[in-house]
Order: sequence, then C-alpha cells, then structure tokens
Amino acid sequence: MKRDRRNPDGHVIRIAASALLAATLFAGAAEAGPREQAKRMHDRVAGVPPSATTLDAMAADIGAGRAQDAAFRAMEHPAFYSVTLKNLAMPWTNRDRTVFAPLNDYVATFIGMVRDDVPMNELLSADILYVGGGVSGVPAPSASSNAHYEELERRHADLKETLQRRTQSGTYGFPAEAAAGVMTTRAAAEAFFVAGTNRAMFRFTLLNHLCHDLEELQDGTRQADRIRQDVSRSPGGDSRLFLNNCVTCHAGMDPLAQAFAYHDWDEAQGRMVYTPGQVRPKYSINADTFRPGYVTRSDRWDNYWRAGHNALLGWSPVLPGSGAGAASLGAELGNSEAFASCQVEKVFRTVCLRTPTDAADRARVASMVSSFRSGGYRLKQVFADSAAYCMGE
Amino acid sequence: MNPIHANSLRGLRAALVVASLGWLAAACGGGAAVEENPVTSAPPAAGYSGPPPASQDVQAFKLNVWDNLQANNRCGSCHGEGGQAPSFVRRDDINLAYQAANGIVNLNDPRSSRMVGKVGGGHNCWLAADSACADQLTVWIRNWAGATVGGAREITLLPPPLRDVGASKSFPASPGSFATTVHPLLEQYCSRCHVSAGQPAQSPFFAERDVDLAYAAARPRINLDAPELSRFVVRLREEFHNCWGDCAQNANAMEAAIRQFADSVPVTQVDPTLLVSKALSLYEGVVASGGNRFDSNVIALFEFKTGTGTVAYDTSGVEPAANLNFSGDVEWVGGWGVNVRSGKLQSSTTGSRKLHDLIKATGEYSIEAWVAPANVVQEDAYVVSYSGGTTARNFTLGQTMYDYDFMNRSSTTGANGAPQLSTPSARQVLQATLQHVVATYDPVEGRRIYVNGELVTNRDPQGGGSLADWNDTFALVLGNEVSGNRQWQGVIRLVALHNRSLSQPQIQQNFEAGVGERFYMLFSVAHLTDIPDSYVLLEASQFDSYGYLFEKPSVVRLTPGAAPSTLDGLRVQGVRLGINGAEAKIGQAFVSVDATVNAAGYESPTGFPLTSIGTVIGLDKGPALDQFFLTFEQIAGRSRAYTEDPPIPPPPPADGVPQPRVGLRTFERIAASMAEMTGVPRSDPAVDETYQRVKQQLPTADGIEGFLSSHQIGVAQMAIEVCNSLVDDPGRRAAFFPGFNFAAPAAQAFDTAPERELVIGPLVARAVGSGLATQPSADEIRAELESLMGRLTACGAGCSANRTATVVKASCAAVLGSATTLLQ
Repeated sequence: MKRDRRNPDGHVIRIAASALLAATLFAGAAEAGPREQAKRMHDRVAGVPPSATTLDAMAADIGAGRAQDAAFRAMEHPAFYSVTLKNLAMPWTNRDRTVFAPLNDYVATFIGMVRDDVPMNELLSADILYVGGGVSGVPAPSASSNAHYEELERRHADLKETLQRRTQSGTYGFPAEAAAGVMTTRAAAEAFFVAGTNRAMFRFTLLNHLCHDLEELQDGTRQADRIRQDVSRSPGGDSRLFLNNCVTCHAGMDPLAQAFAYHDWDEAQGRMVYTPGQVRPKYSINADTFRPGYVTRSDRWDNYWRAGHNALLGWSPVLPGSGAGAASLGAELGNSEAFASCQVEKVFRTVCLRTPTDAADRARVASMVSSFRSGGYRLKQVFADSAAYCMGE
Repeated sequence: MNPIHANSLRGLRAALVVASLGWLAAACGGGAAVEENPVTSAPPAAGYSGPPPASQDVQAFKLNVWDNLQANNRCGSCHGEGGQAPSFVRRDDINLAYQAANGIVNLNDPRSSRMVGKVGGGHNCWLAADSACADQLTVWIRNWAGATVGGAREITLLPPPLRDVGASKSFPASPGSFATTVHPLLEQYCSRCHVSAGQPAQSPFFAERDVDLAYAAARPRINLDAPELSRFVVRLREEFHNCWGDCAQNANAMEAAIRQFADSVPVTQVDPTLLVSKALSLYEGVVASGGNRFDSNVIALFEFKTGTGTVAYDTSGVEPAANLNFSGDVEWVGGWGVNVRSGKLQSSTTGSRKLHDLIKATGEYSIEAWVAPANVVQEDAYVVSYSGGTTARNFTLGQTMYDYDFMNRSSTTGANGAPQLSTPSARQVLQATLQHVVATYDPVEGRRIYVNGELVTNRDPQGGGSLADWNDTFALVLGNEVSGNRQWQGVIRLVALHNRSLSQPQIQQNFEAGVGERFYMLFSVAHLTDIPDSYVLLEASQFDSYGYLFEKPSVVRLTPGAAPSTLDGLRVQGVRLGINGAEAKIGQAFVSVDATVNAAGYESPTGFPLTSIGTVIGLDKGPALDQFFLTFEQIAGRSRAYTEDPPIPPPPPADGVPQPRVGLRTFERIAASMAEMTGVPRSDPAVDETYQRVKQQLPTADGIEGFLSSHQIGVAQMAIEVCNSLVDDPGRRAAFFPGFNFAAPAAQAFDTAPERELVIGPLVARAVGSGLATQPSADEIRAELESLMGRLTACGAGCSANRTATVVKASCAAVLGSATTLLQ
C-alpha cells in the first residue's frame, strides 16, 4: 500500500518487472568463452555482476590462461567479503544454522582471516578477533554485546576495508588460554555454550568445520571410560539402547568435549565465562544418572578417534592427540584432513553451486585440499581454484 | 491318635502336597503353575497360652517370627512340639521354641540363616516362589534381631573356584538356525502360555511367533556349550514341566534341537596371546550385602526377585501380603524388576487394606520406588497408586513428562488427592533412566518428593492434614490406575511403602544402598603375578535384562595374614572385560587403567582401587551361563601389545546425478547485484527497508530446482524499489540515464527511438552486459522494452504528469527483476 501511495502506477511497474523473466531464464546455457567465464566467475565469487572494465580485465586474464588471477580480481570486490563470505559463515554461528542472523564476531573473524590470508587451520585455535575500525557511531566491541557488529552491518560498512585484527583476550578481557579461534567468539559461546553440557560446541564444530555429524562418526568400539555420569547406561531400563547407540558417539565425543570444561555462557551477563582450573557445574549435572560414570576434573581432552574408523578423518601425525583446553583441541581439529577437506568442499559448493559429483570433481577437490594444506591454508586460493574449475566450458 | 504320629502324618501330607505340585501344573508351558500351600488343618486357638516369654528377646522372637510361622500352612504343621526337629514353632512353650530357633538363625546376617536357606531352597515354601518365602523369612528374622542388625556389615571375600577361560560359544546376533531348530518346538508346544497373548500369558515369551522376539527370550534358557543343561531340557527331563508326551522323549527332542542349533554356532577360541585372568560367572561372585536399607517402617515391599510367573510378592513380612498380580503386557526384568509396557500390577483390596490401616494409624507415609521411566513424554501416567479409579484415591505417584506428581487425599486436599504436587518442570528431574524416587507425606509439612536422595519439590502449598477420609476399599496398583486408563511405561525395580515419613538421611541411605543383587567377583591373577591368592576384584550386577554393570576394580590378596605390602609394585595396566571367550567389543572402560599397587592405598577388605569408573557390557547367554574374565595389557612383568589395524578407506562413491551448472542468485547477492547495477546504495533507506522486509522471501538456496514464484515476487519488489530510488533521485537518474528528458510528458519522451535508447541503452549495458553469449541478446531485450514503453505510453496526452518517470521505472524494473539478475 505504501508503494501505491507514492507511485500510482506501481501496478504497471510490477507487471513489467517480470516481463523479461521468461525471455531470459534459459539464456545461461549458451557456450562460454573467456567473457562468459569471467562473468560467471565474478557472479559466483563476488555475488554480483562485474563492471565492464573488471569483466574486460578478467576475460583477458582467462584468455591468457590465468584463470586464478581473474578469480583473485573478482575477490577484490567488497561484496566478496560482505556478501559471499558473510553468507557462507553465518549458518555456522547459530543452532538453527540460519543465514538470517545479524553480523557477529564469529563471521567477522572468519572474513578477516580470509582477507588477510591467516592460515585457516588456526580458525579453531588462534587468539584472534576482527573488529570494525574507522566507522563512526559504532559502539566499541564488547564481550557482553553484539551491538558493534550489528551496527557495522546496519551501516553497510565495507568489511573488506574496516575489519582490523585484534585478539579475543585483549578485546574481551579473558586469559589468552581461553581463546580458541571462532569457537570462543561471543557468537559461538552464546549459541553453543549456553545451558546444556558444552557437547553442543563440539558437535556443531564438527558439523560446520569437519563436515561430519556425529551419526557419521559413530564408533562403539572406543573405550567408554570417559562417558560422563549424565549419560544413562540404561535409557528407559534398556541397556541395549546405550550399547548400540549412545556409546557410539559419547565414547569419542565426551573425552574431546572435555576441552571446554572451563567454558560457559553467562546468560545474565550475556558473555562467555572462563574459569581456569574450575570445571563448570554443567559438567556434573545429572550425576546420579550413572554414578560410576566419568567425573570431569579438568579440561584435559583425549582423542580416542585417532584409532578405529575415525582415524580416516586424517589426524595430524605431528600433534599428540591429547591436551588441555579448547585451543589445543581446536588445533587437533583444524589440522585434520577432514577440516581441510571440509573447507574446500564448502568453497566448492559456494562457487560451483553443487557438491562434488563425479570422479573428476572429487579428484579436483582432492588436489585443492592438498594445495590448501601445503600452501598455508589460504582460503582465497581455494576460491580461486574452485572458480577456475567451475567457470564453464 | 498319637500326637507324634498325627504330626508325622501332617508332615507327610504337606510333603506330598509339595511334591505333587510339579504334577499339578496346568496344561500350559512356561513355569509350573505352582500353587500356594492351603491351610491343612484348623488354625490353633488364637493367642498363646504357654509360659510367658522369659526375656525381651524371646518376646521379640515371638512377635516377629513365631507368630508368623506357627500357622498350619507354614511351619506349624511339622515343626511344633513333638514334630520334626527343630521344633521352633512349638506352641507349648515359647521359650523352648526360642531355644530351637536360635540354632537355625543367624541374627547378625538373617539372610544366611539356616532357616532361610532351607525355605529358599524349596523346603515347603508356603508361597509359589521359594525366593519370596526366603525374603519374607529374612525380614521376620531381621525384625526379631532388631537394631542389632543393620549396621555396616563386614564383607567376607571367599576365593572362588579357579577355572581357566575356556573356548565358548556365543549367541549370534540374529536368530539364524534357531528359527528352524528350536523355535518350531517352542512355538508348537509352549505357545499356549509363553506368548504375550497367551491365556494365561506366562513370561518369558520364548514361544512368540516372531522369531526375533522368541530368540531374545529363549537365549538365557539355552546352553550352547552343553545343550543337555539347557533350562528347556532340564525343565522337561527333570522337572516334568508340561511335557507334551513322554517327558524323556520330549526332553531328548528339545536337546537334539538345541544341539543342532548349537552345532551351527562356531566356537569362540580364546586368543592364546592374551594375558587372561581365571574365569568366573556372575553367581560365583560373593553376594554383596546390598547396602543397608532403612526399612524399619516398611509395610509393603516389592523387590521383584521371582523372575517368573505372574505374581510379584510383597516381602515386607507385614501380613497380609499385598501381592501384586500382573495383567497386560508386564514382563520380568533381569537383575530384579518388572517392565510395564501396557498393563498393571495390582493387589487385592483385602491385601491392600493394611496400607489404609497402618498408614492411618501413623498419619504419615512414604512411597519409595526405583524406577526407569520408558520415556519423558508420557503424561497422566501412574507409577504407584492406592486408589479406586481416576476420581478417587488415597495416594498416587505419577509422571507427567519430566515431572513426578504426587497426589494425596487428606483434609487439605480433595478426594482425588488434588491439587497434585509436582517436581518443578524447569528442573526436568525425571529422566528416562533408573531413578530413586521417594514421595513422603506427614501431617505437618504435607507432601515432598525426593529424587536420587535430593529434595526436589518446593513446600507443599496444601500443607499437611488428616488422613481420616482415606478409603479402605481401594487397591494398590503399579504402572496404571486400577481402571486401567492411566498407563505408565517403564521399569520398576523396587517399591517400598513405609508408614512413616522418611527423613532425608534415611532416604539418602536407601538411595546409597542401591537396588538389585550385587556380587564381588574375584578374578584370580595369581598365575600372572606369581603372587599367591592375588585377585582383581570387581563389583558386578545384572544391570537390566540386557547388560551387566562392572565397577570399582581393585587388586586384592586373600592369603590370610599376608600384608598388603606383598602386592607393592604390582603394575596393572589396560584391563579389559572378557565374556564367553572373547573381549567385549563394546563398553570397555578399564583400558585406561594404569596403576601400581602400594600398601598405602590398600583398603581392607576390597584392596587397592584401580579406578572409580564403572561400565556396562552387553549380556550374552544370561547371568547363569555367561563366563567372564579379564585381560591385561600389562600385569606384573608380563605385557601384551594391543594394536589396531588401520581402517580401510571406503571406496569412492558412485558418480552422482549430474547437477545444474547454473543456479539462483541468493537473497543478499540479489540486493548487492541491484546496487551494483544501478549505483543505488544498499544503505538507501527505502531500499534497505524493502530488503529487510522481503529478504526471507528471496531465494536462500542457489539450487535452480528450488525456484518458486514467490521468489520472483520478492525479486520484483526489490527491483521496483531500487528503480524507484534510482529514478526519483535527480542526481542518480541523470548519471544513469544521461540525456534523457524526465520533464517531458510521456507522450513525447518516448516517441523516438533515440529517446527510448537513452533509457534502454544504459539498462542493457549496466544490468545485462555486452558481448556475453550467456546473457539474453540485447536486441531481444530492446524489443521487449520498446514494446513495454509503447503499451505504457498509449495513454498519450491523457497520461499523468509523472508517467514518464513511471515508464522509466517500469523499464528498469523489467530488466533488474529479470533472470539476468536472478541467475548466476
């Protein structure tokens, strides 16, 4: 109604707006030369069509056999950061996995790391945070508020230009050992440390950054000594449920999720809590469910999945497979083959608009994973490789 | 008649009655239909008229034991004066009876009394289940002993028989040839009773038509290693239980079928490289004392030990027994308990009346239960109820999802016990796992609910009151309402009703005491350690019908007089549980054990603890047949390396269906693209407002198959808004459409091709691009837009003043809102 008051001919425009749709819907199937490849590449990487000059330059790159250079040229567009990367990361930051959530420190940190070519294997372990700088009227970043990032988004701040690298410990005022990359950002803490038992942080990190949910990693043959007291060994009076289902996840998950034993989310203050040396009470809730179960006394974690079929996740042979605290767990996860493969698959999916489908796709992804790991975990390179692979015939 | 002779005859008669029970079995399979002893002669005159009790202890004996046993349908028919020795129920002199009884009881450990052992072993039990008689008798003796019993009891660890771990057969996961060997016999000859729909339904249901169900129930009754010892065979051959012809032949047929099945199951050989302890079955363990329950005021007690039949006995020792009869789908659970699926366990009103009488006498009571609710979604489900239907009750303990509910009829509540008191929903104290629940009532505080020893309810708003209005015609029922329409599902492992409000310490004590039968299992490792009588001790129990609980492993030495220091330096590392010849695949929790014994950490009598962790492993053949052992990665100086083969990578997946190479531009990409094409920033208030409103209507996924008409409406709205902002802003439109005269009337602004090109040209250049074969041709777009302009300016001189701008907006929106934007 508002539209019609301002423009009495609004209905005329509305009818016209879709007039060309049918005529142009299938135009995209035509043969692709360097210009078409450049157009697609820019569309997929930056999310927006290229300007005429950018298109010409990219087409020239492609024509000269430098497709990756063309892709890097597309990545110069601010929308690559403010749209493509933001929408790629946003679902990782909430339990509903929705993309319609406000900008937050998790997403901003991911974007900043990509922009600055920070090795992505530090995504889950570094004491790192990206904040907006040089934008007037934006509240300072705060451990107890997301207003800083929401205001950046509301003002359509150019994230490519404004993001500045900081540390979580310095900005949020918690000890450096509390920081574990995006897992300890305010957004992740709010989503995955809230209530519960902190297993959510582990599960969603697996889901988002190793591209595996727990169901795929079930392994009942791992030893069950670290399963906490809150897991019933006889749900509803039937221990078969435990022995056939529960144990298959908890045996491996519980000793890993112990890394978060000092982390919590304080709903009243709206901030993450870290209590070094003091296990959070949530680790001992429902202790009477199975009293001989494991009692958490520290944030020591152990990766039982280094043996058994989950060894196929490709754990780093130079890491010990155990440690204390979230950062070392983040390094364990971040240096696995599954992590690298997951990042590549997500980028491939974003750029190629499909999952790897056939042997050629899988071979290409494998090669990208390999160069991603050997080339300093630079995600922009993965975008460039994917864009070159999927720019069209 | 000579009294001795008369008594002998009575004894003979009783013996004959008992002996004949096996033959009296009803014509159905599955648990002999044992009948309770009838009263065989007139009861003696009420009261006792002999010499008075010589002491308080004799008086306690009389009240607690003699009064309960002297009847003719119990021990009185034989063990009276002049009858069989010992004459502990003689009626002529209570002091002599007391003397006789003292020789056959153990007041320090009533359960180990000779009298209890005799009755429990089948000697003229007056109930259908020997164990129930033993339990009742234990309670009576314990009551006689009074406060002298119940303190901490000394654990006496006795060395078990030493047996090597033998090769053994384990039941395959699926029925396999059971379906063609044993199952046909069971189905043919046992299915009148041993099926869930039987008349009467006699658990276990090993004759079900469904082979999987039958197999699960039959496994504990089949001995794969020695088919002739299978319960199915013994029941026919030695107990003559409902043979369908000649018992010997029937037993042979059953044995042959089981042997045929067993022959199809491969023998599990013990890996000779393992460091194994000696082997042990659960029942070869030392019975743990079972903790010390506070049962001083128990008036009804159900421990569900019987395991067969359709009666759960009240073993409180308080007469009359409020025994519960099964109806519907109620099954026994291994390790003591019942599983209520649909049905109930109900006592008679006469049996239940004692609750009314004894609770009204004190004005307070406690309902104590060990339960494992099947789920946390059932509502209005009654666990324990003493009531007459859905509208009238004395008390009820129920479940509503995550809450326990407590209804009690008193002077401050209604006849239906309302309003009920519930545990706080937010705490979700009820979980679908084994829990100890106590609901107490006293006339001052009213109702309280404790879960796992902790008070979880807030103060009862109704407070306490009088129980004067209680009704004595109600019945005690478990798992339902007496009317059958408040079904609760779950496992009940113990119910105790006390006619006192238990205090927090008493509740905590009963919670700590646990439930079920526990054993100390001593696995000999002397052959590995070279230390005589050295053992690894584990506390074990049957956890439920499908698993065993093992906990608290420790190293202990049983040599009398040997100091704990003789174990000093003994290193134990990587302990695994073995069952029937192989290490359990799932549930190993002692692998991380790595301890070196030292005398300082040695606790008598349970030894040097290795870990406080416990675990559950799956049941295989059943507690009587499963043979357990331990293996070690390292013990004393011996070690055995454990390595796992690396996993085999899965083969690459088959090629998937080819996927489209083009997709939809998603929501924010659309907004950003329109901004890019037109130069109208996304921060433009009107554009931003429209975007925030329609963004969830725009495509969120890029799959072209997911395109919806609603997406296009959203795209159109965005395009209109962006074009509106573009054209309404003089600066932006001048920059975008240089040379076009927006002030001219519509009839003149578009009347020449060059004028129209001033609009179309920039739109094509910015929004479509040039020289792109994948985009629609510029000529086609131009033709479409020219046609559109023609239609929109057909009003000629009658067009409104802003028609020119409107036509430009329409042309702009037609391009922006088209597939050139939508596709990527």
